[in-house]
Amino acid sequence: MRKANAVTLFFAFLLVPFLAYGAGYYEGKTLTIVVGYKPGGGYDSYARLIAKHLPKYLPGNPTIVIQSMPGANSIIGANHLYGAAKPDGLTIGTFNNGLVIAQLTRVEGVSYDLTKLSWIGSLANDAAVLTVRTDLPFKTVDDLRKAKEPVIIGATGPGSSTFDFPALLKEFAGINVKIIPGYSSSADVMLAIERKEVDGRAGSYASILPFIERGLVRPLVRTRVSVPEIEKLPVDEDLATSARGKAILAIRSTPEAIYRPYAAPPGTPPEVVKILREAFAKVTQDKELLADAKKGKLPVDYVSAEESLKLVREVLKQPPEVVQEIAKYIRFGD
Amino acid sequence: MKIHVNLRVLFSLAVVVLGGYALYASLHWPFKTALFPRVIGAPLVILAAVEMLLSAFGREKRQEGNAVDFQFTTDVDPAVAQRRTWMILGWTFGFLILILLVGFLLAVPLFVFLYLKLVGKEGWIITLSLTAVSWIFMEAVFDRLLHLPFPPGWIWSLWS
Amino acid sequence: MLDAFVQGLVVIFEWQTFLMMLLGIFLGFWVGLLPGLGGATTLALMLPFIYKMNPVEAFAFLLGMHSVTATTGDITSVLFGVPGEGSTAATILDGHAMAKKGEAGRALGAALMSSLVGALIGAFALALAIPVVRPLVLTFGAPELFMLAVVGIAFISSLSGQGGRALLRGFLAGLLGLLVSLVGQDPQGGVQRFTFGQLYLWSGLDLVPVLVGLFAIPEIMDLAVRGTSIAGEISEKNLNRGVWQGVKDTFHHFWLTVRCSLVGTFIGILPGLGGGVAQWIAYGHATQSARDSTERSGFGKGDVRGVLGPGAANNSKEGGSLIPTIAFGVPGSSSMAILLGAFFLQGIIPGPDMLDKHLVLTFSMVWTMVVANVITVAVSLVFLNQLAKLTMIRGSILIPFILLLAFIGAYTSNNHVGDLLVFLIFGLVGYVMIRCGWPRAPLVLGFVLGKIAENNFYISTIRYSGAWLHRPVVLVLLAITLVVVTYPFLQMRERKSQIDEAIA
Repeated sequence: MRKANAVTLFFAFLLVPFLAYGAGYYEGKTLTIVVGYKPGGGYDSYARLIAKHLPKYLPGNPTIVIQSMPGANSIIGANHLYGAAKPDGLTIGTFNNGLVIAQLTRVEGVSYDLTKLSWIGSLANDAAVLTVRTDLPFKTVDDLRKAKEPVIIGATGPGSSTFDFPALLKEFAGINVKIIPGYSSSADVMLAIERKEVDGRAGSYASILPFIERGLVRPLVRTRVSVPEIEKLPVDEDLATSARGKAILAIRSTPEAIYRPYAAPPGTPPEVVKILREAFAKVTQDKELLADAKKGKLPVDYVSAEESLKLVREVLKQPPEVVQEIAKYIRFGD
Repeated sequence: MKIHVNLRVLFSLAVVVLGGYALYASLHWPFKTALFPRVIGAPLVILAAVEMLLSAFGREKRQEGNAVDFQFTTDVDPAVAQRRTWMILGWTFGFLILILLVGFLLAVPLFVFLYLKLVGKEGWIITLSLTAVSWIFMEAVFDRLLHLPFPPGWIWSLWS
Repeated sequence: MLDAFVQGLVVIFEWQTFLMMLLGIFLGFWVGLLPGLGGATTLALMLPFIYKMNPVEAFAFLLGMHSVTATTGDITSVLFGVPGEGSTAATILDGHAMAKKGEAGRALGAALMSSLVGALIGAFALALAIPVVRPLVLTFGAPELFMLAVVGIAFISSLSGQGGRALLRGFLAGLLGLLVSLVGQDPQGGVQRFTFGQLYLWSGLDLVPVLVGLFAIPEIMDLAVRGTSIAGEISEKNLNRGVWQGVKDTFHHFWLTVRCSLVGTFIGILPGLGGGVAQWIAYGHATQSARDSTERSGFGKGDVRGVLGPGAANNSKEGGSLIPTIAFGVPGSSSMAILLGAFFLQGIIPGPDMLDKHLVLTFSMVWTMVVANVITVAVSLVFLNQLAKLTMIRGSILIPFILLLAFIGAYTSNNHVGDLLVFLIFGLVGYVMIRCGWPRAPLVLGFVLGKIAENNFYISTIRYSGAWLHRPVVLVLLAITLVVVTYPFLQMRERKSQIDEAIA
């Protein structure tokens, strides 16, 4: 009798995690996705896409809601996820992939540590590209280097890829460009290209794609993350004329491999994190989601949690002197 | 000549200080960053100083004070008006403190209840039904429908 | 072209489409009315529902909702002095002042009718402009945008009162607004200006908490001090007569309404000027319609023209702001960015094709905005008189609710406690400004235009060096600036000479 009790107890203990986190953990609950931006941008669109399809892959079919926590290029959202959100698996968040650079360069106001978050993975990767108008004679990077007059590149401001990417290429790959910051959004830069106020712009490939397809601009350089259609373009770090430049370009573009990162607060029970990771891995293969994603022009390419964390660590392991160099050229901002 | 010290003088003084701070802060900035703050800050300081001196020493033609804006009521006895002004200011800032203390969702019905009962001196039926309306409104529209992230009040952190 | 124009109207009257539009209008009605419900947030919430609709239905739904918010936002502005939307704040100045005089009905009638006229003119101007819209948008580069901002800032002179002293205070308020607009990261050097180490301030101050504070708090304080209802001691009979009067006012000042509608359409077409600008320029223009300076100082105290101008402009701009999204695939606001997402979901690629191959769809959008506004205004007119009665409710009952709307309205712009602090700080500033006789409108004008001026100044100068100063449109805008600046002075002199004559 006694022995039987002990055995039952033993099995009961074994079962507890399954009861607590297994079959119905999300039953009747609400999963909140904290987005570091207002509606109307890529981060919000991806979150809503996931929110639509994720519930069926979570035990108990929870409701998923999106909470916007905009500000400081999503640092506010990331700080909240790190320091304030409850680690019960009911809150997860998404933030700018460049936040790892902000942590590396110790931007004022950063209180999160990305390596301590419970990573879920990234929904997509994206490459930065530098594009110029198709009616201009520049077809290769060499053309840009040899340009007699500087090629004018429109940008929003320091801290965005529209500014940092061409600025680093100018510094380390010797392309002859003049960067004009001050446009209120990357959409505004696009319009400036239409009216020939500027000759080109840099930015994420996915966001410029409609304009490349329309024949307005052509891409000349890409970063290391490979997207099939632009596989053949030269990669920025290979164009660098110095080892230092190569290293800095590589670090700037590394986070692009986890362009749409998702993570849960530090200390989220491993069982729940496992459920979330599996659900993300499955939902990103889901046919309906992929169909919606294609319609909405939101490319999906899941990167696992382990891989994401590895990339984050890779960026953060830079020695202090390299960090100083990077901070000189990349100023994380809004 | 009599020197007046009134709200006008103090407000223009505050603007002088603000403009001065903007100019001071711009000293540490690169030229392009600093240009607009200086172009705006310099005339702001000078004009605000002029306004301050005019308010302190000069008398004002009545009609000239007419801004393209509304004017506060003058029908109420100044003493009563002053008391009511401080009251409403207190309630407004009290609302903020209440929100920070107990969180939005609880602060709203609480505030509505207290205001209606203490200031409005309304009966129980009106007070309670309007409090319920405000509570349902917050809960249904902003919490359930829009999922606004309402930070929980500081008070609750004492328990966890 | 004409064919597509007519066909665009026909398609929205198919019953499914029409039903979707009605649903959109119903939602948009509440979104506009409640300060906490923003257009962009609600649009994003509605996106999942449009997957199964066809393009015409989807846009009837989304645009029906979107175009109504600006109309009903005016109602909240007039009744309570809390802007229902960021783009309806200018209506408060005269609209709420009218409500306090017991003319809420008239102000509402004027706001809604001018909104309708604005929507109609905006839509038709748009339809007429479609062949030339691409070159038109492309003419306005950074130098022209800079000069437009300067023209806007020049309106400060007509938004100040009469006399040197009032002008001084107007300029001070304007400079204060310009300074406030500089908060946040500067794109030239990447320096954080006036952010005091606060992450919240990185992207600058948001329009909504600033406006809600600046306008709602002083009104709440005034209401509390008066200790009466909003309309004061005015008999109900008086109140009810107003709505038709307001409708008539719109036609009495028809050309002003038309001009302000065109201003709105034009500003809407140009991306990068932002939603707050049109109404304030229109308001500035409305004050210029005053025949002399005494009449001008009546603005802000309940002149119906101060309602008609912004009312017309903030609706007509909606039609215009569709253009950059449709014709270039370049959204001008976050609402439009979400709409752009809806285009993609529907398998439509915005761009030149929309003005050619998909012209029927484009016109159906224009018509949706027209029909949605006609329906809203028609329905609203029925119960505006009832709404106006809200101004008869005891102030002590209304105040907690107005405060609640103001707090929520401010908070939802960033969902951050900083919103509440900004809201209260600007509330105090607004209160002190009124006490000191500083006009608030120039501050808002400076605030909404400062950043635009700075950014486009640098873009122009880096791109063209000094050569941008010779561009023809820049010169025309410069001339307009001079007219706008000197107009009140000319008015003043004219009046003075009249007085002199009378004395002689």
